[in-house]
Amino acid sequence: MVKDLYKRYGDKAVLRGVSFEVEKGKVKVIMGPSGTGKTTLLKCIDMLVKPDSGKIWLEDLELTDPRIDVSEARRKIGFVFQEFNLFHHLTAIKNVMIGLTKVKKLPRGEARAIAERSLLKVHIDRELWDKYPAQLSGGQKQRVAIARALAMEPMIMLYDEPTSALDPQLTREVLEVIKELAEDGMTSLIVTHEVGFASEVADEIMIMIDGRIVERGDPRSIIYDPRREETRKFFNKIMKIGDELR
Amino acid sequence: MSFWNEFFSKLYIGVLTTLQLLAVAIPSSIILGIFIGVLRVYGGKIEKTLANLYVHIFRGFPLLVTLMIMFFGLADIGIRLTPYWAAALAIIVCSSAYQSEYVRMSILSIDEGQSLAARSLGMKRSVEILYIILPQAFRIAFPGIGNEIIYMILYSSLAYIVGVNEIFSVAISVNSIWFKPTEVFLTTALIYLAMTTMASYGLKKLERKLWIPGFETDVKR
Repeated sequence: MVKDLYKRYGDKAVLRGVSFEVEKGKVKVIMGPSGTGKTTLLKCIDMLVKPDSGKIWLEDLELTDPRIDVSEARRKIGFVFQEFNLFHHLTAIKNVMIGLTKVKKLPRGEARAIAERSLLKVHIDRELWDKYPAQLSGGQKQRVAIARALAMEPMIMLYDEPTSALDPQLTREVLEVIKELAEDGMTSLIVTHEVGFASEVADEIMIMIDGRIVERGDPRSIIYDPRREETRKFFNKIMKIGDELR
Repeated sequence: MSFWNEFFSKLYIGVLTTLQLLAVAIPSSIILGIFIGVLRVYGGKIEKTLANLYVHIFRGFPLLVTLMIMFFGLADIGIRLTPYWAAALAIIVCSSAYQSEYVRMSILSIDEGQSLAARSLGMKRSVEILYIILPQAFRIAFPGIGNEIIYMILYSSLAYIVGVNEIFSVAISVNSIWFKPTEVFLTTALIYLAMTTMASYGLKKLERKLWIPGFETDVKR
């Protein structure tokens, strides 16, 4: 749950009072034009960026409390980056194992078993386990990154435009995996520009413009019947680009 | 005893001494170089300043002068080092200052996403540096560190000035008895060449062993 989050970089206010909640087992999608603070919001939730004010809770743990051990809290939040950020020097399976062995301090054997299960869950087959990131396609990299976050058994998964760096064909395989996880009951907060995907997977879509959530609701009404002019404009714009591509 | 007999029996001791010096200086300077490089990037204000000062000083002193300070200067304030340890220490501080620069630059060249991903998994800074940043930085810094190893082999010859009985000091003393500079110094040069050749070969092998797709160095090109 996020309450009244503010963040500014220099004299640019990026987040201007954002509040919302992601209930257990629910999937919330954030959409909106680029540069409106969506990535900053996710980074604040994982405390990768310190918010200026406002509070964030993970169930009853207040993440913004300066006395808590931030690294301890972060392992309960899975973060999937737009640029994958796999560890370049580790193979696919070691990317998934390293959090388990070095953060959770699990023995290698146990870590490997969990990593194998996570990789299979995101449909990364055995023959790819010992490949290095540079030898994987973008879609495979992102799925390994999802497995890496998943293996830590997070309470929530944050996805920051997980398919923006992928071409359409690879986008599908990644969205497919995110959707399967969501259907399995993984609590998720997703920033994406994929309208079709959002409407399929979201319990609620929030529209973020200029550091504020301007409108929220169930996918159907938000996409096809938005109440606010700026939401309508935003969807018109991204739908039109989609049409032109087709 | 003939000239060659005497020269080679003394050279044998000299080579062993040089190797002993390098066996301490090379690994210590690499470890210290990495440590100082890490401090220069991740240290707090005080650590950073001290580490930068260290580099500034020991990159600014000629190795020959540092050697004299380690041997004579420290003796003046009551720290008496044997010639061997004075030389080892001088080479270590000088080379680690250079190496920390390679390490610092390679850490800075690693994209921020690696650190974000490490932190998002819940890694503490120390774990992140040890298991995510340094393995990558070391591979990037490797050619530079390799260069430093070659330099250390060659500059170990300066240790003769404080009386370490290494290869070059053997050459000087044999030459002063027999006065055969061409034979003496050409042979000496060839011994150094043989050592650097072996070192380059070893470094190349090691580089190939450490090679990982995505860390393209000149091995593949």
